[in-house]
Amino acid sequence: MSERVEVEVAEEVPPPEWGRRQPLGAVSPWIFVVVVGLLLLGRLVFAPYLTAPALQAWATIFVAICVQALPFLAFGVLLSAAITAFVPASFWTRALPKRPFLAVPVAGAAGAVLPGCECASVPVASGLMSRGVTPAAALAFLLASPAINPVVVVATVVAFPGEPMMAVARFGASLVVAVVAGWVWLRFGRTDWLRIPSRPVGHGPKWRSFVEAMRHDFLHAGGFLVVGGATAATMNVVVPRAWLESVAGIPVLSVLVLALLAVILSICSEADAFVAASLTAFSPTAKLAFLVVGPMVDLKLIALQTGTFGRRFAARFIPLTFVLAVVVSMAAGEVLL
Amino acid sequence: MNRLTQSMILILLGGAVLRITTVSTTYLNYVKPGFRPFLIAAGVVVLALGVIGLVQEWRGAHADEHDGHDGHDGHAHAPGVAWLLTLPVFAIFLIAPPALGAFSAKSEEAQARPVAAAEPYDALAAGQVNEMTIGEFVGRAWGEGADSLAGRQVRLTGFAVPSQKKKDRWYLARIQIACCAADGVALKVAVLDADMPPENTWVEVVGTWKRPPSGRLEPGTIAPELTVTSLTSIPQPVEPYE
Repeated sequence: MSERVEVEVAEEVPPPEWGRRQPLGAVSPWIFVVVVGLLLLGRLVFAPYLTAPALQAWATIFVAICVQALPFLAFGVLLSAAITAFVPASFWTRALPKRPFLAVPVAGAAGAVLPGCECASVPVASGLMSRGVTPAAALAFLLASPAINPVVVVATVVAFPGEPMMAVARFGASLVVAVVAGWVWLRFGRTDWLRIPSRPVGHGPKWRSFVEAMRHDFLHAGGFLVVGGATAATMNVVVPRAWLESVAGIPVLSVLVLALLAVILSICSEADAFVAASLTAFSPTAKLAFLVVGPMVDLKLIALQTGTFGRRFAARFIPLTFVLAVVVSMAAGEVLL
Repeated sequence: MNRLTQSMILILLGGAVLRITTVSTTYLNYVKPGFRPFLIAAGVVVLALGVIGLVQEWRGAHADEHDGHDGHDGHAHAPGVAWLLTLPVFAIFLIAPPALGAFSAKSEEAQARPVAAAEPYDALAAGQVNEMTIGEFVGRAWGEGADSLAGRQVRLTGFAVPSQKKKDRWYLARIQIACCAADGVALKVAVLDADMPPENTWVEVVGTWKRPPSGRLEPGTIAPELTVTSLTSIPQPVEPYE
């Protein structure tokens, strides 16, 4: 008797989770289980076969780019989220000159204080824009900070012993490119080209919107970083460096080739000086172009900028920056080196 | 993609980074040793983001519907591109990428110049074996200090790479990185008077520098040569790069 009563009670009172949040990602957690299953299975079944030297070299470089960029990305995202969550918008209107024309160089010069590489500067710039900073000023900051911060300057001095002018020329040329690019954008840029990432206006405690912004930015920028890393790794393995030597002696072409190489290799701005120094066959001006272009335009940055600010922005801003960087480096190389 | 999936991707990624930095030294295949604290910090941050997301999701399931975690208000749905963050995790676990080796050293036939030492090299002791990096050896052989190598015994560590041009020639090579494996350059020393071990084998060689017939080598041209007296196979060093 008593047994039957219990059964009836259980049927009458459904468990509390019934009917409440059924569709809660009914699909993607399962995709996720599949992913983890593939990982475990793959480790046993496929791993012994994934040993082709080219594939391994590609994977090493791919993982290296991702792993190396991760701390910078995390730092940039953290800073950006902190800017959105904890720094009031009024701070930026007070800190930067009112006139956008003046705000651009000030923001560019402010790039000198953020010791990061290019992966950190994209989320920070987008955070600045969403807090009401003039896009042109935020863009000047975006371009300048990976190239002129103290860590990069010191790395350049170390990589070129006995050639201090290289670091000076790099600092000067990068700042000029950043400011000019900012001004050009201010004058000719249209607001509908630029997608300023909307920020979740957190209801509730500040730390919550902080965590929310961080997670969103990290997943977003991280995904695009992976695109850039995979492309750069492919180029790194596929493009033979030997053909570079053949153009090293030709004046303008050699500058263009190293500028393109900087785009393709996507080396972190804190390390690119060492690579430039190892390209002994090239003229100092060509090496300078490598150092100025690299932190402003490279495959991983193109992916990050496209993802963050939109395709219409990237299609205009990236060629502009590239041309400016090459022209300014040539001029600076002529005068300083 | 809902918050649950986002959190799990973050946990997976953070876990993978912590796995290669804390319980193993695999990260040395990818970056300089100095990166470790930053990688651990980043791994912890990413993992924490994921765990916080899971906790919120679990709590949210019992709370009000305002939160809208199933993607009706803009930010809760992350872009699909975030799935790509599982790619490095797959690469780490499935391919388990080894340190760059003979494949990368071979594809660069033109010699790279090692990152120059800031101060001039010290004199080497006579009558004993001087341990040095391939970078230092190449740097000495190419620069003003070439005479400092004359008649001195040195011990070098690297892996074996066959020459692509000459059949009976092989190199002792090592990759030098400044920051991560993407900026690696191969440094090579031609080994004389010793049979080549299997490609990619790590060896320790003791020998003396052989002065080139022309007297001096231009930096960044051809590999300096080493006449070898002893050659020992060794396991791959923990730190594979110079």
